[in-house]
Amino acid sequence: MDFALTEEQEFFKKIITDTVDRLIVPKAREIDEKEEFPRELWREFTGLGYLGLRYPEEIGGMNADPVTAMIFYEQLARGSVGFAQSVIMNALMGTYFIYRFGTEEIKKRCLYPAMRGEKIATMCFTEDQSGSDLAATRTRAEKDGSDWVLNGTKMWITNGPIADIATVLATTDMAKGAKGLNFFLVEKGTPGFSPGQVLDKLGCRGTVTGELVFDNVRIPAENLLGTEVNKGVEYLSEILDEVRTMTGAMALGIAQAAYDEGLDYARKRVAFGKTIGSYQLIRAKFADMATEMEASRLMVYYAAWRIKEKLSCRKEAAMAKMFATETCLKVVDEVTRIWGANAFAHEYNPQRYFRDARFLLYGGGTHEIIKDFLGRMIIGKH
Amino acid sequence: MDKILVFVEAKGNEPRKVSLELLSEGLKLAASGQFSMEAVFLGKLPAAVRETLLNYTEKLIHVTDPVLENYTAEGYSLALAGYARKTGAKIILGGATQRGRDFLPRVAVLLQAGIASDVTITNWEKDPLTFIRPMYGGRVLAELSFSAYPAIVTVRPNSFGVGASLAQKGELVEFPAGISPEQVKTAVIKTEATTLGKADLTEADLIVAGGRGLKAAANFRLIEELAQTIGATVGATRSVVDAKWRDQADQIGKSGKTVSPKFYLGAGISGAIHHIMGMDTSKVVLAVNNDPNAIIFSYANYGIVGDLFEVLPALTEELRKRLGK
Amino acid sequence: MNIVVLVKQIPDPEALVAIGGDGVSLAIEPKFAMNVFDEFAIEEALRIKARHTGKVRVIALGSGKAIEVLRTGIAMGADEALLLEDEAFLDGDGYATAFVLSRAIAQEPFDIILCGRQAIDDDRGEVGQMVAQFLGLPHVGGIVKLDVTDGRAVAEVAVEGGQETVEVPLPALFTAQKGLNEPRVPLITGVMKAMKAQIARLTAADLGLAPAQAGRSGAKVKVVQYSLPKKKPAVQIISGEPREAAMEAVRILMDVEKVF
Repeated sequence: MDFALTEEQEFFKKIITDTVDRLIVPKAREIDEKEEFPRELWREFTGLGYLGLRYPEEIGGMNADPVTAMIFYEQLARGSVGFAQSVIMNALMGTYFIYRFGTEEIKKRCLYPAMRGEKIATMCFTEDQSGSDLAATRTRAEKDGSDWVLNGTKMWITNGPIADIATVLATTDMAKGAKGLNFFLVEKGTPGFSPGQVLDKLGCRGTVTGELVFDNVRIPAENLLGTEVNKGVEYLSEILDEVRTMTGAMALGIAQAAYDEGLDYARKRVAFGKTIGSYQLIRAKFADMATEMEASRLMVYYAAWRIKEKLSCRKEAAMAKMFATETCLKVVDEVTRIWGANAFAHEYNPQRYFRDARFLLYGGGTHEIIKDFLGRMIIGKH
Repeated sequence: MDKILVFVEAKGNEPRKVSLELLSEGLKLAASGQFSMEAVFLGKLPAAVRETLLNYTEKLIHVTDPVLENYTAEGYSLALAGYARKTGAKIILGGATQRGRDFLPRVAVLLQAGIASDVTITNWEKDPLTFIRPMYGGRVLAELSFSAYPAIVTVRPNSFGVGASLAQKGELVEFPAGISPEQVKTAVIKTEATTLGKADLTEADLIVAGGRGLKAAANFRLIEELAQTIGATVGATRSVVDAKWRDQADQIGKSGKTVSPKFYLGAGISGAIHHIMGMDTSKVVLAVNNDPNAIIFSYANYGIVGDLFEVLPALTEELRKRLGK
Repeated sequence: MNIVVLVKQIPDPEALVAIGGDGVSLAIEPKFAMNVFDEFAIEEALRIKARHTGKVRVIALGSGKAIEVLRTGIAMGADEALLLEDEAFLDGDGYATAFVLSRAIAQEPFDIILCGRQAIDDDRGEVGQMVAQFLGLPHVGGIVKLDVTDGRAVAEVAVEGGQETVEVPLPALFTAQKGLNEPRVPLITGVMKAMKAQIARLTAADLGLAPAQAGRSGAKVKVVQYSLPKKKPAVQIISGEPREAAMEAVRILMDVEKVF
């Protein structure tokens, strides 16, 4: 078993780590405090070309394999979760179905600009009443001639209120449940498509998350992203594993950021005449955190490797996401304990990691759903 | 007897303090009979500088040549190497000043000699002689020896004290270097002063430094006032320089200047490791910070936990009183 | 215009450094970085290339892992990279290292050599100047500005209390100081190119050098031992209201420590 990253992947990791340290880390606190979309940083960072990471070189992408992509997602989250969410939405979920199913016209208008950061993309699933329960999606798409007309509201959409292009999950027939779902492309400026409420979030501040309203939004036939109607859930499964694993990678990044600050503090902070790192209970915390982070890392990158090798990955991706997330939540908690009262101040970072980490419980699937799904898979239908 | 050749420099109308420190050290060695010492000065020698130097050395060699009109690394290295060969110096000592560190490595190649740069401790009594210098930003000390001589050593300012001057003034010897002009290809076009008379941070005995805790560029006034009262040089942290409150020249730290003053006061500075690494050989450190957990207190001798906006003016006032200003 | 940039891979400035059991070696946490001053050198080389057309060649001396800094150079835009890799090159002092580098540089024509003003692991600041002397070139140390025209270059150096402007004919060597430029962040296209790049390696034999001339054997300066700096006693906190604390602090500084 060869667990090593290739020399190329090691180099990529070095570069992206440095790039994040240089461009994003110094702004992370400001992004969180201002709670505004960081347009200047977005321009600067997307100008480097990383948004094309997962797409072919021929169209200006990098053709990066899933393992390399995970390195990218992890480092971005380590820098600033509020920024990472927006970037990753453009790099993956918000553009994938356009890449997969869009006409060349649509690609020119939407995909390539999104890859350059010139257009902001988003993917819309969640609604007020449906998160895990996709089948309860109420946003409906009705055929009218060759056009589709969309009606409904989406909620908790990353990049939503500022999006130029939205991949919208809508149903053609609520009675069909999951089997009636489709992806549609809706572009800013289309009459009836408007941003709604912007959410004031506990964490991941800097990413604009909120409501999108579809009021008789008329879109042409080619805006159905798919070769067949009602195959939305099938298409989703093409990236579901990667999205879950990606969430795990983000969990690793956040955990690493918190852990590093905890370590620095333990080495320097003095209490009772010694650095606190000299005390057994603090040492035990690091032993536990390091062990679980190591395990999380192996699970996340193993899942990524399976995706790369085109091996089935539904179980591994779900496990990796869940385990890495639970580890991250433990790590950010422990670090706030290690930092003592200083963790209570907005001036220092541990509180931000603590707040940001919570989103991992929702992104990529809740753990209640994942556990039920895994348990069912293991035990079988009895 | 083995000879030590001390390269001395001037700043305006005075010898550089580090040059007097090295000469004092050389005089000690000469008195003990371990070495004989010569001082060597290159280029234009102002009378005031000459007179002061002659108080600290029995022999001052003044190397002259048209190419030494201005400092160039090429010119100085040819001149010094030429004289060092002629006089048979075993050790060449220079201050680890910007200039010294710039051209003495070239001298090393010209003499096929080893060089130990930015040394803080010299072990003259050991055999072979050893010299200690900080590495890794001061986190490790390396004790070095030379495999052969001559050898060159540059010494960090403030590593030695300036001793008593000689009872009798030394003698001046003029030495024309005889360098062919085509050997020096560097031409100094102009020198512009930007700040007047500020003591260089790296040579400063007294430093008052400010960090982010000052909250705004204008508040550096508090640092400047205190510095002026005690004749200290103002320093700054990297974050303050990055925020453009102070010039890059004021930065103390890993990518700024390494300082080794007698006294360092850090106000509103948390004590990030990269800053600490630039000042941790300071002899006496006083830190002022309103955060009792600030890391800088672990690297300070004395600390005041309080609001610098009150503490700094209070210090300035008390110092003015005591110093009679 | 052929520009050579000397780069060094150093331990990450945050890496833990401990002294080995034998006292003459260092145990350093295996985290690596490019010497920060070398980044300014690469960036300047790329800017010169953009203005004058030419080729940028980055050279590093080190073990296989040092390839990473060469790849970084390529990612930023360098055209070629060369790793001087040989057991015999390791543990040299400034002299031995500069000697080997100068041999490698001399293999191809060059107009400008750029390097950092010092490496922040050894903190020696010797190699650039020594390379210039070995090659018989003028050098300008610690430049904060560089203007290259046909066959000549004008450089600015920050000196105490001001700025000095110096002119040299090419070929010449320049060591970079902070403030020279803002190193670029590599674009993904550069990163991809660097990931695929095949990097040439040279050994002592390739340079026509006997092992005794390089590395530890060729060094003029030997490490007798390493030690740690003396630990300071714990800080003495001066308590009281600002006025009281200030009075007490001044008393200590003037009467006890005799600082001024």
